[in-house]
Amino acid sequence: MDIELDHIIPVPLKDKILARQSDIWNRRVTWKQGSYIKIKAPSGTGKTTFIHILYKLRTDFEGNVKFDGALLEKTDGDALATLRQQQLSVILQDLRLFPNLTARENIELKRVLQIPFYESDKIDAMAAALGVQHVLNQQAGLCSYGEQQRIAIIRALIQPFQWLIMDEPFSHLDNHNATKAAALIEEECKKRNAGLLITDLEDDQHFAYSHQFNL
Amino acid sequence: MLDKILQKLIRTATGRTRFIMAVTGLSVALLLILMAVQLQTNYNELLNSKSNQDSIANFLVVNKQLNDQNLGATALTESEVAELRKQPFTESVGLLSPSRFKASIQSNSEMFPFYTDIAFESVPDEFIDVTSKDWKWDEQQNMVPVIVPNMFLDFYNFQFSFSQNLPQLTQQVVKMIVFRINIYTSTGIQTFNGRVVGFSDRISSLLVPQGFMDWANRKFSGENQAKPSRVIIRTNDPGNPELVSYLRSKGLTTDADKTRFSRYRQVVDMVVSISWITGVIMLVFAMLIFTLFIQLTISSCRREIELLITLGASPGQLYKFLMRRFFPINIVIIGITLVLISILQYLLHHYLISRNIHIGKYISWQTAVAGMLLLGLIWVVNRVTIKKYISVS
Repeated sequence: MDIELDHIIPVPLKDKILARQSDIWNRRVTWKQGSYIKIKAPSGTGKTTFIHILYKLRTDFEGNVKFDGALLEKTDGDALATLRQQQLSVILQDLRLFPNLTARENIELKRVLQIPFYESDKIDAMAAALGVQHVLNQQAGLCSYGEQQRIAIIRALIQPFQWLIMDEPFSHLDNHNATKAAALIEEECKKRNAGLLITDLEDDQHFAYSHQFNL
Repeated sequence: MLDKILQKLIRTATGRTRFIMAVTGLSVALLLILMAVQLQTNYNELLNSKSNQDSIANFLVVNKQLNDQNLGATALTESEVAELRKQPFTESVGLLSPSRFKASIQSNSEMFPFYTDIAFESVPDEFIDVTSKDWKWDEQQNMVPVIVPNMFLDFYNFQFSFSQNLPQLTQQVVKMIVFRINIYTSTGIQTFNGRVVGFSDRISSLLVPQGFMDWANRKFSGENQAKPSRVIIRTNDPGNPELVSYLRSKGLTTDADKTRFSRYRQVVDMVVSISWITGVIMLVFAMLIFTLFIQLTISSCRREIELLITLGASPGQLYKFLMRRFFPINIVIIGITLVLISILQYLLHHYLISRNIHIGKYISWQTAVAGMLLLGLIWVVNRVTIKKYISVS
């Protein structure tokens, strides 16, 4: 699945964005599936807004987002759900786990929402790789931010996808854990021949990026 | 597995008391409505079934209202009778044939002399409420069976006998008396023996078998076709206002007392309609409560549902889950209600059988179908509510 951005500008940020240069806003950009995209975005440039537009969490923007030529704004209901179940996986900055479910249930929910891509023992394997196996049966709301972030990463990786969209996915992790998480993410993307898109405040070397942009 | 997790997410938000309230309201409403359906079918069964028909069906003798204009012209024409036959309240029509000859009866015995001029009437046997093996006649038979209105005997026993200083007579005694029937013809008097074989509450005239009447009218009167002045109609509903207004509009009258049945009918109708109306009102409220309950559940889990959709749960999946959560209880409610009504019906059947009223042992198919229809209605309401509130959240 290719991603095509056609002069998108979020309405609330319109004046601010038009006053400066951006590689993404108000431009035509196309990314092939399998690309590794890094978007560097200092605070206040609309980083999270951009992720939310791509994942269709907000629609207050001008311009068009197309997945394989299909307009995102026309995709809704069950079709949008299929997109999120099969093609587009996300790690949001605010993680969005169900605090009352256990960590395992949070991941399991995403696993069985569609025809499972992995068996359930893969949850344990991934949790072991990221060092959160011990919190799997704990309520997600009681886990630390670092643990929650790793649970959210596993949740995003348990489903099938063609693109993985991440909004500061390592913000609560130390370098050691971030490296482990990045390795797992890269492995899973390769397995699916999927692309990844990551936004962050600073430059980083977590992945071998094919394109880097400034928002 | 998905269901288990969703259940954990959505269960936490709903109150148990509200759920019980909603379910109770719905149960009572459904019970009332289905009971109304069952009562209605029981009632229809009572009106229409063979075994009960005679006890409820009624016979009305109808004739023209006599006034100054139609003196001497009270015969009912064929078209009038045909029209009467066509009315929805008429089950069957029998012509009362009056005798067209002069006749008298007199005692055979010197001990107990009586003599009176008399006229007979006859009516098809199916309209007669007396069953007697002697109620038959053929041309070889000199003995003519007669059915007498009960009223006549009462009149004799309680008035006439006192004034004439005559003995009172029981029905059994009267049935044993053989008397003479004289028919005055142009060639002299023809004599038959007569005997009372039964007493009728239905028709207030002396009845002889139809066969005898036809034969005697043909033989003694010369007129071939005697035009009937009165007909008897069988109706399952003498209290039907349609019947009353029809008769009035055609200038016909009948025994007003027979319409007393309409009072019982009104009571039953009232009970059934109260049950209906209460049931429907309760259903509306119960559905409202149930709908509100669904709304409340969904809106109290708004955040969860939003996040589920964010994560990629499809509205279809949520809908299916919520339907599975809210709908099955309704199947249980309908099931229990039908079982309850079945039990009541069975008890009622046994209770009424001791009073010679026959209703079905089991619930009617109409009740079962109504149950299914209500289930369908609830399904639609649930579906609409859930769809609406999923898309809102």
